[in-house]
Amino acid sequence: MLGGASDQVDVAIVGAGPTGLYAAYYAGFRGLDVAIVDALPVVGGQVSAMYPEKVIADVAGFPAVSGAELIARLEEQVQPFAPTFHLGQRVERMTSRSGAVDGAAGLDLHTDARTVIGARTVIVAGGVGHFSPRRLPTAAGLRAEDVDSFVTSLDPYVDQDIVIVGGGDSALDWALMLSPVAGSVTVVHRRDRFRAHAHSVSLAQKQGVRLLTRAQVVGSVYDHELEAVLVEHADGSRTTEPCGRVVAALGFTARLGPILEWDLGIERQRHIPVGSRMHTNRERVFAAGDITTYDGKVPLISVGFGEAATAVSNACRVIHPEAPLFGGHSTETTTPVARSVAVGEVA
Amino acid sequence: MPFVIGEPCIDVQDRACVDECPVDCIYEGPNKLFIHPDECIDCGNCEPVCPVSAIFPDRAPRPGEEHHIAANAAFFESGR
Repeated sequence: MLGGASDQVDVAIVGAGPTGLYAAYYAGFRGLDVAIVDALPVVGGQVSAMYPEKVIADVAGFPAVSGAELIARLEEQVQPFAPTFHLGQRVERMTSRSGAVDGAAGLDLHTDARTVIGARTVIVAGGVGHFSPRRLPTAAGLRAEDVDSFVTSLDPYVDQDIVIVGGGDSALDWALMLSPVAGSVTVVHRRDRFRAHAHSVSLAQKQGVRLLTRAQVVGSVYDHELEAVLVEHADGSRTTEPCGRVVAALGFTARLGPILEWDLGIERQRHIPVGSRMHTNRERVFAAGDITTYDGKVPLISVGFGEAATAVSNACRVIHPEAPLFGGHSTETTTPVARSVAVGEVA
Repeated sequence: MPFVIGEPCIDVQDRACVDECPVDCIYEGPNKLFIHPDECIDCGNCEPVCPVSAIFPDRAPRPGEEHHIAANAAFFESGR
């Protein structure tokens, strides 16, 4: 997709965490068309990378909701407006267009996948930066296409011998998910204790998942395709484990990276200062969520939601100067609502 | 609002927390580890992996360990 006058979106959102997803919903509600970009291959940002199993208790209206469930709900909420998702792409540069030539003033976001997203306004909902999965040591010799850092569908694992590396909740949850369909599942964990819930560990054992502790994947065996991995144990011995696919559940690292270079006056290498309209020091650029700072800022998901609505409403005024700042209540409009709610969960 | 490493880490320095930290904000001191208060993103991943339960959030210090909050900040201010 090429940016520019003809195909620029109203709002490009950088970051598909809770704040970014809600901003995408709210922009849809305001009748704006939206592109949303995230470095991870899945939506949910920090919540998906680090807390999918944790129970969140401070989101309004949800007395207790798992991170994964909250993200699924946000996805459902935004889905009627069908924003364009650019997942697995990191925005490297943000350049301004004056519109002097074609009358289409705005910004271009340039991603590491060489996509250029043209937008009339940008909302930076970048949280603590882009998340990257921790990789297995290159010495293990695994090809990138044989290693996943998220399990998003069961299909690639059916009847395969799967080796999952890691000892946290994600490693064990994926083991439980895959063991009914996979040929075999082996979890390889470097330490002697699993961080995952004890219940998941005992359930995995009951389901026939092999658990290898104080062990590391140190090599691989290829015969055109991946056949096995070499596992080194605490006593220095090595075993060969049949393996057609590896899931590396080793956690993530976060870096603000390129956003630091966008001339947004970042403070302490971390936060974008914003005003009461959630505007930054760059024209047409707004910010919301954990990445913002102002006097009295509280870094909570619920605050990020409010900031997202404020940022979108003010971006809307930039795009449609005649439009009201406040777009009305969702109860009084005929805008689409997500299906599960429409069929009566609310009734 | 960072996490802080307290008393039990002294002379243990297991480093399980270092492996877990997504932003590499845990640094080694002479006899214990320290969390950089400006770099910590408050994710809490380090807390449960510590084998000696040395890590706590600065907003809820354990009795008798309050001084580690200042000691932690001082460690980084002194330029290590």
